[in-house]
Amino acid sequence: MIQATKKHTRFLFMFIFPAFIIYTVFMLLPIINSMKYSLYSGDGLVPGTFVGLDNFIRLFTEERYYSRFWGAFGNNIKFFLIVTFIQNILGFFMAVFITRSFKGSGFMRKLSFLPTTLSVLVVGFIFKLILNPYYGIFDKVLEAVGMGDFIIPWLGDPRSALVIVSIAVSWQFFGESVLFYSSGIDSIDESIMEAARIDGANIWHEIIHIILPSVLPIVGIVTILIFIGDFTQFDIIFAMTGTRGDPNYSTDLFGSLFYRTAFSSAERGGWGTGMGATVATMMFITVTIGVGGFLAFFNKKKEELGK
Amino acid sequence: MKKIALLMSVLVALTLLTGCQKKEESKTAEVKVEKVKLVFTSWRTEDIERMNRINDEFTKANPNIEIDFQPVKDTEYDAQLRQSLAAGVGADIIFLRSYDSGYQIYKTESLMDLNSVLPELKEFPSAAVAAWATPEGESYGIPAAGVVHGIYYRKSIFEKYGLDVPATWDEFIAACDTLKAGGETVFAQGTKDNWMLYEVMYSGLGANFYGGEEARQALMNKEARFTDDNFVLALEKMKELQAYFPERYEGIDYVTMQQIFGTGNAAMFMGGSWEIGIFEDLGGLEDVGYFAPPLAKAGDTLQYCFHVDAGIAMNKNTKHMEEVKTYMKWLASSDYAQLYMNELPGFFSYTPGNYTLNNQLAKEMQSYVSDSVPTVRTVWEKLSADSPSGNELVGEAIQMMYAGTLTPAEAAKFVDDGLSWYY
Repeated sequence: MIQATKKHTRFLFMFIFPAFIIYTVFMLLPIINSMKYSLYSGDGLVPGTFVGLDNFIRLFTEERYYSRFWGAFGNNIKFFLIVTFIQNILGFFMAVFITRSFKGSGFMRKLSFLPTTLSVLVVGFIFKLILNPYYGIFDKVLEAVGMGDFIIPWLGDPRSALVIVSIAVSWQFFGESVLFYSSGIDSIDESIMEAARIDGANIWHEIIHIILPSVLPIVGIVTILIFIGDFTQFDIIFAMTGTRGDPNYSTDLFGSLFYRTAFSSAERGGWGTGMGATVATMMFITVTIGVGGFLAFFNKKKEELGK
Repeated sequence: MKKIALLMSVLVALTLLTGCQKKEESKTAEVKVEKVKLVFTSWRTEDIERMNRINDEFTKANPNIEIDFQPVKDTEYDAQLRQSLAAGVGADIIFLRSYDSGYQIYKTESLMDLNSVLPELKEFPSAAVAAWATPEGESYGIPAAGVVHGIYYRKSIFEKYGLDVPATWDEFIAACDTLKAGGETVFAQGTKDNWMLYEVMYSGLGANFYGGEEARQALMNKEARFTDDNFVLALEKMKELQAYFPERYEGIDYVTMQQIFGTGNAAMFMGGSWEIGIFEDLGGLEDVGYFAPPLAKAGDTLQYCFHVDAGIAMNKNTKHMEEVKTYMKWLASSDYAQLYMNELPGFFSYTPGNYTLNNQLAKEMQSYVSDSVPTVRTVWEKLSADSPSGNELVGEAIQMMYAGTLTPAEAAKFVDDGLSWYY
């Protein structure tokens, strides 16, 4: 028996080994290296002077840095909330809708997943074209239906830009949540649903008492995926409002902040590699804490439901 | 287990095979061509065809050297350049931005010192050379291209209203009023991309109000502040133009504004000389005219923003040192300058020599130079070396001013506060 376990261990190690090497070389070491750079200061791509925690202290005490950092943090939270609302809540109802069997439900399923297959940059570009104040179709449509008074420069107004960007991202990844939820709903035993229906349950009862409890672990997974995706989001900002998070940093997220501060020259908003690495480390810490929090929350929920 | 072994052997076989193939390929390459390919990078993706034509001329004279022009998108250029140089895969010949931005790259010790390689640099205008040289006077870039800022206009629209090219600000505003009253889109300008507001509008049109080069020097030498009356006055003048912007200008980005003007849908566009090529491609140049920034009052001397835009540096770690030097020599020659200015009208070479410009707009732009005081963008030198950079601050301040969140005086204070972090 002991022999067998030993053999088993060796076998398992063989499986883990290639992935372990790849993760170490391409993930773990760069992350550690980047954290190391956050303790250094200096010109160029490889900062040379060790400054201890000075970069972190400066990030949180000097207004020129912390105003950008907290600005991006706040935007990121708003961004996350909007995306979560659309993808989680609307996505859930969409999934409930398309898992009912009706004519065309299969087609709806495929259709809802279609945007997810596009590149983020393509999505950003399409939205930018649609919303262009001069030749964009969206304003023209609003005008045609007599809502011309509501038109604003969507991506040029700090009040609307972040919301628009969030909608673009949600639109793209909406299908992913629908896919997760619908597969969860599909796995519910049909006999339970049937029994409920015989007992006179309407759709709301079904959702609240059967569907929701059984897909709750999926809510957790989807929320965590959205959280990670949003707090590291860069592509859509790059495509739609540029790395400065225009207008006036109102769409600046952690991703664009890091990119700008680490890789741009000072005159274009760079803070030097050391400070850039500091921002990256703070991003990493934020995401780790966030994911930990969500995991704890959803595990507790699951336990409560289990009781 | 058998299956794994099989898989492994297949994998090994595959690697061996590809390895052999590669070896064979390199063998044939050695025999066939001894041509050296030099990679030339720039932030001007729109120039690929034109630069290829210029470089073909070089290859004709030097058949063993081929130039591969590989530009990177403007906004990504600096980051990409830094990364590639640090990784040791940087281009051989490099477009370099002026002053601190280029100097930062030089300080990574990846650029070649040029004083001994190109002694002819001594003959270049010293102000231009200084934009790509260390404080000690060691050059690391050939001053290759300068640009001017001014106003493009549609000749047909101006004719329709019987307007002449305005020389002073009052005439300029009067022309704007006439055009607006006639229902024209006066300017194609939008404010979504704030760099335009600073680089072209404030540095170009504002210079006549804040006092041009003298004021810029004073600001840089800490004898003046951005909150001084002259700098605020220039901001106020910029604010005056807001009334003539198109609807929802806050959402109009750089590309859209070029398209609005280029397709004849606006009477004027405040732009840089580098846009000649873009307008040519968009709708032809027959109907496009140009005038320099209007003077504050008649009789003033024009403060002309003739900005040091691009230098050309060579990678210290190039694999083809001699070939790169040969090419650099050519880049610093008047032959290249003549080709360059005619292929890329709107870019003005600093290389000494007599040139004939074949582009009418470029000629017009150059015609203002002789009677003007040349200056560069307001806070480009020294005042953008740290965070937050002057370049960003002025752009942001004007963007907020146009959004109505700051008054011109507050905008000036915003810039001054930002600069006080390090200046």
